[in-house]
Amino acid sequence: MPERLGESDLERTLSDIGTRLDGPKLDLWPAVRARIAERRAQPWWSRLGLDRQTLAPIAATLVVILVAAFLLTPGLAARAAEILGLPGAQIFRISTTPTPMPTTSASVSFPGQRAASVAEATRLAGFQVREPTALGAADEIYVELAPVRVTLVYRSRPGLPVSGSLPGISALIVEFKGSLDAPILGKAIGPGTTLEAVPLSSGNTAYWLAGQPHQFFYRDSTGNIQPDTLRLAGNTLLWDAGGITYRLEAQVTRDEAVRIASSFR
Amino acid sequence: MEGRPAEDAVLVERAQHGDTEAYGELVRRYQALATRTAYVITGLSMEAEDAAQDGFTKAYFALGRFRTGAPFRPWLLRIVANEAKNRRKAAGRRPTVDLSVAEDRPSGDTALSPEEAALASERRRFVLVALGKLREEDRLVIAYRYFMQLSEAEMADALGVARGTVKSRLSRAIGRLREITAGEASADA
Repeated sequence: MPERLGESDLERTLSDIGTRLDGPKLDLWPAVRARIAERRAQPWWSRLGLDRQTLAPIAATLVVILVAAFLLTPGLAARAAEILGLPGAQIFRISTTPTPMPTTSASVSFPGQRAASVAEATRLAGFQVREPTALGAADEIYVELAPVRVTLVYRSRPGLPVSGSLPGISALIVEFKGSLDAPILGKAIGPGTTLEAVPLSSGNTAYWLAGQPHQFFYRDSTGNIQPDTLRLAGNTLLWDAGGITYRLEAQVTRDEAVRIASSFR
Repeated sequence: MEGRPAEDAVLVERAQHGDTEAYGELVRRYQALATRTAYVITGLSMEAEDAAQDGFTKAYFALGRFRTGAPFRPWLLRIVANEAKNRRKAAGRRPTVDLSVAEDRPSGDTALSPEEAALASERRRFVLVALGKLREEDRLVIAYRYFMQLSEAEMADALGVARGTVKSRLSRAIGRLREITAGEASADA
């Protein structure tokens, strides 16, 4: 470039470069969607982007601070002694005792709006919510709207063990728009989990995930593959019918799960 | 200012409530802008696309912290630019300006004579080389103004600086670019 660029030439040339700069060669959204799904499937602490090397000193520092606070605060040590019922603790009388909260409802919560009935859940969800006669009416129903997902909660039921991971819950049924794809299901299950196809009395095929399943993948109503995380992390039966995927989580045998699933009305 | 601010806000709100496809619309709307921003920093188009993808992914998980009513575009560009900067730092090298990105593509400007077109092409090449010698921050402020036509307010948001700072930063960057081009011109002469 032998001659100097004038001010307007420089600005014009910059704008000219701008009009020629290309965007991406391909649509980025499929790759971004896959990255989002992949990151969602990770546990929450790994989403923070902190690796083990970063976390270890943070954890060690926290422990040191807590121990120091405990040792340096006389009140805290005394309170601990009181809680532990050690000698030196004083007893105070109060006129009323607070009503204890039931631990089952206090410790477990579900996302979405509470629906009073299956009919209301159906109206909110925009599809027919179904429930199994084998379990009776659900104790609670929650409807999430974006994306639409209905959760039916069954607290203690005779003959059904209560979950170890969600206190007070015997079974969960989750219904959402989407379909199952055996090859995708088979690929996504982790080690220690087995997948078995079992027929339902309706003629539909269900999939029995046994062992330690934590999540599975399904195809949503737009055809995209999405991860779904299990709440009880126990044996799970999955099936789809009429564009809706059903998920039953309960500590039951495969045959019992199939019996419950076959009683859907 | 914003192309379609109302719609952006609606899509952001839907995405915040778990509607992934609404976020997909935002990605498609701003993928060209995001890739160009990353490209200005990384200088390699493949790496720029990868940085843009990661930027969009990070922005999705940061939507909970997005201030309702704020413009989405500069907020997104800031995340993408940070992602691209981190990559460039990790690679530990100066950006190489890939001329083909700006040269291969016709601009639709057919009014120029062959001589004028050749001169314009030479100028672009010359300015691109000079841009590659600028500091990252200078290159970015020039790109936001001339390549992406961001408003001053958007530039301030995207760069994370006060609005009053944008003008002086831009004129300083243009001044440095002019110095480099002048130096190159006298070296060539």
